[in-house]
This record gives sequence, structure tokens and C-alpha cells, in this order.
Amino acid sequence: MKPQTIYKGLALLALSFTFVSCFDSDWDTPDMTNPPYGNNEIVEDQAKQVTIADLKAKYSKAIANSSFERITEELQLRATVIGNDIGGNIYKQIIVQDATGALVVGINGTGLFPFLSVGQQLLIDLKDLCIGGYGEQPQLGDEYNNSIGRMSTEKWEQHVKVLPTHDMSQIDTLDFFKVAQADIDRYCGYLVKLENVSIGDAGYPIAPEYKAGTPLIYNGSSNGYVHHSINGQSMSKLLLRTSTYADFASWVIPSTPVTLYGIATRYRDTWQILIRAEEDIKGN
Amino acid sequence: MRKRLLSAAALLFLALNGWAQEPVTSETEKALKDEAASYIFTESQLDEDADVTQDVIQISSSTNVYTSNVGYLFSPMRFKFRALDQKYNDIYMNGVQVNSAENGRFSYSTIGGMNDATRGIDYASPFESNTFGIAALGGSNNYNFRASNYAAGHKVTLSALNRNYTARAMYTFGTGVKESGWAFFGTVGYRWANMNTAAVEGTFYNSLAYFLSLEKRWGYRHSLNIATWGNPTERAQQGASTDEAYWLANNYLYNPYWGYQDGKKRNSRVVHNYEPSALITWDFNINDDLKLTTSFYGKYAMYSGTRLQYNNSLNPKPDYWKNFPSYNYDVWGESDGSNNDLAAWQESYDYWRAAKANRQIQWDRLYYANQQMNAVGGDAAYYMLARHNDHLAFNLGSTLNWDINRENKLQAGIQLASNTGMHYQTISDMMGATNLHNINNYAVGTYAGSDPRVQYDLNNPNGTVAKGDRFGYDFNIVVQKATAWAQYVREKGISHSFISAKIGGTQMWRDGKMRNGLFADNSYGKSGTARFLDGGAKIGTNLNLGKGHVVGMGVSYMTYAPTAYSNYGGSAFQAAEMNNNFIDGLKVEHMVSAELGYAFVTSFMRANLTAYFNHGTRMNEWQNYYYDDVNSFTYVSMTGVEKNYYGVELGVRFNITSGLTLDLIGSMADAKYTKNTDVSYLLSTQGTVTHDVLYNKGMREASTPLTVGSIGLNYNVSGWYFNLKGNYYDRIYLSYSPSLRYESTLIRSGAVDVDGTLIVPEQTKGHGGFMLDGSIGHQFRINHHPLSVNLMLTNILNNRKLVSGGFEQSRSNYTTDQTTGEKTSIRTYNFQKNPMKYYVQGFNFMLNLNYRF
Repeated sequence: MKPQTIYKGLALLALSFTFVSCFDSDWDTPDMTNPPYGNNEIVEDQAKQVTIADLKAKYSKAIANSSFERITEELQLRATVIGNDIGGNIYKQIIVQDATGALVVGINGTGLFPFLSVGQQLLIDLKDLCIGGYGEQPQLGDEYNNSIGRMSTEKWEQHVKVLPTHDMSQIDTLDFFKVAQADIDRYCGYLVKLENVSIGDAGYPIAPEYKAGTPLIYNGSSNGYVHHSINGQSMSKLLLRTSTYADFASWVIPSTPVTLYGIATRYRDTWQILIRAEEDIKGN
Repeated sequence: MRKRLLSAAALLFLALNGWAQEPVTSETEKALKDEAASYIFTESQLDEDADVTQDVIQISSSTNVYTSNVGYLFSPMRFKFRALDQKYNDIYMNGVQVNSAENGRFSYSTIGGMNDATRGIDYASPFESNTFGIAALGGSNNYNFRASNYAAGHKVTLSALNRNYTARAMYTFGTGVKESGWAFFGTVGYRWANMNTAAVEGTFYNSLAYFLSLEKRWGYRHSLNIATWGNPTERAQQGASTDEAYWLANNYLYNPYWGYQDGKKRNSRVVHNYEPSALITWDFNINDDLKLTTSFYGKYAMYSGTRLQYNNSLNPKPDYWKNFPSYNYDVWGESDGSNNDLAAWQESYDYWRAAKANRQIQWDRLYYANQQMNAVGGDAAYYMLARHNDHLAFNLGSTLNWDINRENKLQAGIQLASNTGMHYQTISDMMGATNLHNINNYAVGTYAGSDPRVQYDLNNPNGTVAKGDRFGYDFNIVVQKATAWAQYVREKGISHSFISAKIGGTQMWRDGKMRNGLFADNSYGKSGTARFLDGGAKIGTNLNLGKGHVVGMGVSYMTYAPTAYSNYGGSAFQAAEMNNNFIDGLKVEHMVSAELGYAFVTSFMRANLTAYFNHGTRMNEWQNYYYDDVNSFTYVSMTGVEKNYYGVELGVRFNITSGLTLDLIGSMADAKYTKNTDVSYLLSTQGTVTHDVLYNKGMREASTPLTVGSIGLNYNVSGWYFNLKGNYYDRIYLSYSPSLRYESTLIRSGAVDVDGTLIVPEQTKGHGGFMLDGSIGHQFRINHHPLSVNLMLTNILNNRKLVSGGFEQSRSNYTTDQTTGEKTSIRTYNFQKNPMKYYVQGFNFMLNLNYRF
């Protein structure tokens, strides 16, 4: 065989390789000018805007009675996400806060955190949503069994617009003992800090699965949530509430003090601190 | 008068032809069969998840009408020869066995796109003696890749089709054997489809193939051949889905694997595969009666398949169960209906139906989620992984063929194989995210995030990973095999008989490259070495009873070392992705087989009727899936599996006239588990192992029709070839889900009758039916060179309701209490009514033009 034939063949082979390029090459991040989450058609209108304090005042009766009311006015709320389900402790809820107050938003969906991360500013079109109180904790959502419940994810996405601002610096992290604890109506739902606190039941996992006969305080029926005291205070006033489904449920409570960050929700007159993820526990 | 004489002569000629001894198989028919076979065996199976099945066996025979047709005839329905796993089909190349030492299988796709190079195959059906090895239960094939085996000349092939690729071009050049003793053969091919042209939406195909072979002969005695080939391929896959999804999409080829990103289609499952291979063969004709063939094969295979992964976030699959209308309303009426929400059903239905984008992956939202996570310094919520299965394989085969005399022949040989399988995951796309840690998120929850047990690699705790980095698991499996075999063939009088035996040793170990937090002491570094001895014997005879009657029979007893590691079959390791442990109770598999055949050959017909039986014991199977009742992904080992495979096969070809033949081909088979099986599963969330009993007695081999029948007409006239085939398929089972049939699951779910007997769910079936296929071909001559034009039409009646395979969902219809393990409530969504299925493609065609010069 002639060497030229082989050379020709190899040249053809090399050439054919150069023709074939990858189909599934590197993909660029899509344009996020109009975020692919929520409803970009909501137009921000200063005239319609209310603060959380305004809203709580306007519907104070429904909130106080643990009932609900459907919002019929054209109202808009601009608030920042301060809590979500990232650690599996908060479930089917996010918590939003503005300079005047905080609200729980009930959404019937899981895996909300990557779409509604802490610090994300939202514009919520309130018309046709419901507001009410769950144990007097103000909550936005929809009607469920004649009380305030969660709205469907579809409805939520119709009523929320993701704003370009993602900034936690605008959000106050209150010192719970110095500021928040004194005024439960004003500060319930706020992001708080509890410095150098000791958590009850040291040596136990924070939210183990229920076992009858353990000294841990389970909420209501057997499982779901475990309650711990904070600084030995009465649990009718203040407690740490953790879901057995939380990612950090197995975290063992130390005997040394820690600093907690979390959402200071209320159930009637009891402060229930919800930490969002294991990272909210500092100094362990 | 002259006219009459001519007519009479013509009739006589036709009649004589009709009574000729052998039916004439036209060049065109052969070319069509070759084309169909090479398409089927190298490509048609590829749209499935490579982890699930690629079970097709290429079998043929020069003497058996059934075997010579069945390989490709029923392939649109993924017919498996005798319902056997592909590991029972031994593949040789120039005499060296090349089945993967790790998983036992040969991946036909690695020789795809080089059709002109792979036509020379020597087939041996299960009880046929041959010159290269002991025929396997699923038959053995020996490819002849010697350059001297190919005809001299050039050939160009152009193809158009509407299947997983749309266009193909191939160029082939062969020199034949030159006076100098040199021979060269080479072929280059390219196969292509983009997202707009591929038959299944959202897939593409991009594959180059090359094959080069060079041979030098020194006189009569020695010849040396070197061949090298490869087919760098990039292709996107199709996923199975439920009938509800097919209904909502109004498309039997709905593919949940793709979606729009910035308005462009993107598939989440892209396979990259390139297996450069080389084969060196030395043929030594010691004398006229004694020949020694020695081949050395080496390859470095690079295979990766991407998948979209979610991190503690919402499952991004568009056909995730919570996304379906029936998640909101129990359309089956099997729950108490307390959670039925018709408005939500309608809302979901409207959403699915409103736009195509709604029923596909929503890439833009996933990128948005990652941007949100970047803003809080969190780990990626979504990312793309590539699962890599790379292999470095070396195989050596040496075979001595000794024609002792006219009546006696002896073959003997050795086969050595070594395979290092490198299995690891890499991040193939961070999807805009900036952070990701090498953490086992499945274990977070069971253990706190700060617990070392959640680390995928304790040698590099909390390691951050980025594109290209290894993630989750990284291990090698090393397998070494040695086999010696011999076969004695005797032809005397009316009998042709053989006896053969082999003995082999296998050793295997795992070498972990990450120290998994759940198995800190037995995941990093080498495991122990497991050694197995296997072998067996086979005996068979054909008796020519005269007047065209031949009876054949054979029996064999074979043992097989366990499959070292395979995502779709057995594994010797409990959970190779996590630790070094071998499965408890791992044994060498035993298989007893028998076959009885009858052939009748006359001038007007050739008929073959065969009955076979295979009984396997001490078999091992392995799977992995999410098991609802324990809220964990599980690695599942089944040991002591027993199965029976049996059936009858019929093939008849009638030579009606010289040009017209009628084929009747059919098989009625069964392949089922004969006893319940011990099962143990390892929880990826905590590393513990649970033992249970799997009630799988009576379950059948899946994703193959167990009943097939075909009637076909072939007509050759004036260089034209026409063929029309009606094929019928039935008894197609879907892969049964073991977790639904664990003893503990059956008790928990209340599947117990009044006298305490467990009620085992019946295996789900797919829809069978009828398919009409045809082809037409002609050979023209242009400038004295042949131009062949072939058109193959498949599923002409566009029957889209045929199920080619699928699997039951492993999830439960109820929720389970985390602590007590008791059933708590019935789900609205019914997993058992929603198996995952693949449907056949509707009408499709392949047009081939090839020109030789």
C-alpha cells in the first residue's frame, strides 16, 4: 500500500474530527431581568402600598381573634424575606419583614428557600389574599376550614413579584431580650438574636423522633415538634421550637451557652423561637 | 407456438428454481438485514437510560430460520433472546473475548457507526460448536476485524431516517490483500440529529466513528493484524414517564428530560462516550491442520452521563408525582377521597395543557434559584452531575484449532481479562451557582450538618467542589479473570457431536478514593479480594435422520462468578458508591440448560422447532432506588435468586416460487423467579443494613415480549426486493419493584388476607399488539458500479400503543410514621397505578443509498 493512501486516510480522519463539535456546550446563565419566578406583571404603585404595621392595624381584629379576613382592596406590600424552609424547621411558610413589622406567609409548598431566599425583597399584591391570626401571629395566606391557612403555590406566584433588591442590611436583627421580648404585638415574627443563652435538655438531640418516656417536651400529640426552654425561663413565656424533620434535628444541645438567631413567632402569649438552619446556632 | 414454448420454458425454469435446495437470499435482502441489525444493535437501544437496560442480544445463525431472523425482527419492541441478560451473550473479536470483565456485558454501541467493519461475524447459537469458544447461553459472536477480510474498493453510504438520528454518512476503503502481503481497511462515519430533527423531542445525536485495520501476511504461516477504532459520541436521552404524562402531553414520545433555557431546548441527560480500542492479532498456521490465533485487545473507555441534581430543594423533574393533576384528586377511587381537591386537579391539568414549556424542565427557574442561593452564600440548589464509568481493559485470547482428521476436531484456548473500572461523579455544570460542598445531604437530618458522618470524603472534609471536581463517590473496581477451555467435535455418520468444558478464576476488589463519613473505616483504600472459581461443561449432538429431518439436543451445566459491578444487573458489592463491603452470601451462580431442536429441510421449506430450558440458582441481583417506607435511598442486594427460562421457538421459511418466500417466526417463552428471595438493603441516609424477604416468586423478566409471532413475505424480482412483515407482541412485563414486595412492606400496607397469607401485588404489564414493517430495495448500476437503494419502513400502521418496556414505581401509596414505621395515611396519588413506561415510536423509516466504486 502506498504511504500516501495512509496519509490521506489519516488526514481525512483528522479533518472529520474537527467538523464534529459538541452540541451540549457550556450554557450561559439566562437573563434574569424578569425573574422566572412570581408575577412580573405586577406594577409597583406607591399609592397602593401599605406597611406591615398598617396591615396589622387594619386587620387587627381578625388577627387577635385568630380568624381571617379576605383583603378586597388594591393593596401592595414591599417586604424582605427573613425566614424560609432552608433547614427544614420552618414548613410551608416564609416570614417577611419591613421596617414596621413582620408577617408569616403561608404557602402550600415545600422547597421554597431557593426561590425566596433570606434578604430577597418582594412586592406582594395583597388583593384577594387572606390575612388573619394563628395564635395571634399575623399571617397572610388563604382560607382553610374557616381560619387562616396556606395559599396554593400557584396563587402565591400570581401575587408576588421578585424585586431587584437582595439586601439583608436593611433588615434589623433585634436583640430579643433587650428589644423584642417587651412588645409581642409589635415584634412578633421578627428576626432576632438571643445572645449567650443556655438551651434546656443539654446532652439530648434538639429534636429527636418521639419516644415515650423521654423527658423532652413534645408538642401536643407524639411527634412533629420538640420544645426546649431558653435560659431556664418558663416555657409558657419563651421556648425554642424545633421540628423533628429539621435537618439539624440530630444536633446535640451543649451544656455551654450559645447564641441563637431565629424568628420570634408567637403562639398567643408564648414566644416561640424558630431557628432556620444549623448555622443559626453560633458558638457551639 | 414459439410463444407457448417460451412460456413453458419459463414456467419450468421457475418451478426448478422453486424446488432448488437452498432458498436464494438476495444480496439486497442480506444488505437490508445487515442494516437493520447494525442499527438495532448499536443504536436503537440507546434512548433508554443507560443505567436501566441495554439488554439486546445480537444473535444469528446460518442454519436456523428462527435464530437467523429473531435478532432484528422483533427489536422495535426490544425483544430479548430467550429473555436472557446480555451477559449471557459472549462477544469475541478475532478470537479474544471482549465482554466487560466488570459487568459481563458487551456494549454494542461501542462499534456503532462502523457498519462496514462489523459485518463479518461468526455466530454460534447456544448449542452450536464453533472454532472460537464455548457458545454462551445467549449465543456467541466472533467479529472478524482482519483487514484481509474486507473487499477491495471504495464505498460511500448516505442515510436518512427519522429515528434517534436523522442523517448518516459513511466512507469505506479497502485494499484487499496486496501482493506484498499488506491489506488495509478503513471506514469513517458520522451520525447526526439535532433537537429539531430527532424523533424524540429534546434529544440529539452527534457521533463520529472510525475503524482502521492493517494486516501483513508473511507467506502462508504468519499474519499480523492491528486494528483500532472508536466512536466519540454525544447524545441526549429520553426518559420513561407515566400514562398520565403521555396523556397530558398528548404524545407517546413525551420526554421529561428536557426543557427550555433562555428559550433554547436543553436536555438534562447527555451521554458522552468514547472508547478508543485496539486489537492486535497474530494468526499462526502451524500446519494445514493446526492453527493458532492469538489476539490482544485493549481499550480505554470514557463514559459519562449527566443528570440534574437537586439539593434539599424541589425535585425539578417535570413529571415528579407532586406535579401531576392526580396528586390532587384520586382518580382511581382507591383512597378515602378525603384529600380530593377537584379544583386543584383542574388547575394542574390546565397548567400541563397550557404550554409545552410547562411540562418540561424549567431551567431558567433553576438558575434563578441558584442566584438566590449565591446571594445568601448557600450551596447550589440545583446542579448537573456527570456519572462517570471509565474502564481500562486488557484482554488476551489464544485459541488452538486442530483438525485431527476428517472426523475429529479439537479446539482449546485461554482467555485472560483485566478491567479497572473507574467510577466517580463530577460536577458537570454549577448552573450559575458559586458554592457547593461535598456533603451527603441524604444523611443530613439523620445526622446534624456538623456531624462527620455526613461527609462524602473525610480525607477532605467540607471540601468545596466546582465544575469538573469529583463529588459524592470515587472508586475503582478491579476485576481479573482467567479461563481455559477445550472443545472436542466429532462428525461421524449421521451425527455431529461436541463436548466442551471450561474452568476459570475471577478475582475482584474495590479501591475507594474517598473516605465516606458513614463508613470511615471501610470506604477508603482497597477492600479485601474476593476470589471465585467457575466453569462448566456442555455437550450436544445433531442427528441427521435423512430425508431432511435433523434432530439436535444439548445439555450444559455452567457456573458464573458474580458480576462485580453493574448499575443494571448484579453487583458483588453492597453499595460500591459508599463502602468496600462485599454482599453477604455472595455465591457463584449455577445454570443448568437443555435444548431440543428439530429441523426439517426440503426444497420448498426450511423449518426449525426448538424447545429450551435454563434453570438458574444462587443468582445475585442488585438495584438501587428510593424506598419510601424508610425515607431513604437504598442499595438493594438480592441473593439466592432462582429463575427458570423456558420456551419454544419456531421458524419456517416456505419457498413459494423462486422469488417469493413466506416466513413464519414465533416464540412463546417464560422467564420467571421460582422462589422468594433474601434481600438486604443499605440506607444511604445512615449506612445501616436491613434484611427482609422479597416475595418475587412468579415475577417475570421485564421489558421484553415473552410472546412474539411474525408472518413475513419476501419477494425478489428483477433486482428488486420487497418485504412485508406483520409482527405480534404480547406478555410484556414491566420491571417489578422489589420494595413493594418486601415482607415488611406487605404487612405494613395491610396486604394480608384473613388467614394471614400475604397478598403479593401482580406484576404490571405493558400493552402488546401488532406492528407492520416493510422494506423495499433495488440495486442499480451507475458507470458499471453498483448503487443500492434500500428503504425500511417500521410500524407502518402507526400503532403507538405498544409498550416496549418500563418499570413499576418503587414508592408507596401511603405515608409511614417516621418513628413507629407504621402506615399513617393513604396518599391521593397512586404510584402503583402509574408505572413508568416507554412506548414504541410510530411510523418511522430509514433510507439508505450506498455506492461502491
